[in-house]
Amino acid sequence: MVPEEEQIEHAVILLNEKLLGIVLGILFGTGLFLVTNFLVLKGGRHVGAHLGLLSNFFPGYRVTFFGSIVGFFYMFLVGLIVGVVLGAVYNKIAKA
Amino acid sequence: MGLEMKTASSNAPLSPGKDSAVEAQLLRAFAPLHRTAMGVAWGVVGGGLLALATLVAVLKGTDFLSFGLLAQFFWGYRVSWPGVFIGLAWGFAVGFALGWGFAFVRNATVWLWLTVIRSRAEMDQYSDLLDHL
Repeated sequence: MVPEEEQIEHAVILLNEKLLGIVLGILFGTGLFLVTNFLVLKGGRHVGAHLGLLSNFFPGYRVTFFGSIVGFFYMFLVGLIVGVVLGAVYNKIAKA
Repeated sequence: MGLEMKTASSNAPLSPGKDSAVEAQLLRAFAPLHRTAMGVAWGVVGGGLLALATLVAVLKGTDFLSFGLLAQFFWGYRVSWPGVFIGLAWGFAVGFALGWGFAFVRNATVWLWLTVIRSRAEMDQYSDLLDHL
């Protein structure tokens, strides 16, 4: 095998946990923000009856425009924690 | 995604340019993910999230999101105190499978991609072979 290829095969990628956390946080937060506002704009009799159940986990969250901003911050936090944990555990094992 | 590299054998991060003949950018693009590490990382997150969600439901005393339906897939899972730990185990197992599978497919795709690039480069190199005869 060519040395370059061998080197690539034996190298392992490490993740930047903080960056991964911020990226996942923005993705998760934006996802909930968009889904909430989609339901708000769609309207109807019981707006977001199921999505509203998220308030059991995220106090203060509602299927309203203001709620979508609150939801963004909650989901950003969840994504941040998920990303940091994911990156930290991955790096710990990959380095071992 | 802000990646670093290390050699699996030496545990020391690669320092391209000095010890390595391969440029840092090349390694950054093609170095494989550690399958087991990715599996465990996803497992920890998956198990943790499911256990936490079950715990909230148990503490509130109501299965408000019908988590109990997960018992259709996760044998033994219930919205109860033992269910928190069973959910942790199932979440870890499913997360591990997904993470390991993700890393496996990603590495296989990169390997295929590298093979195609090498084949094309070889074809280009030998395309004018007959002209030299």
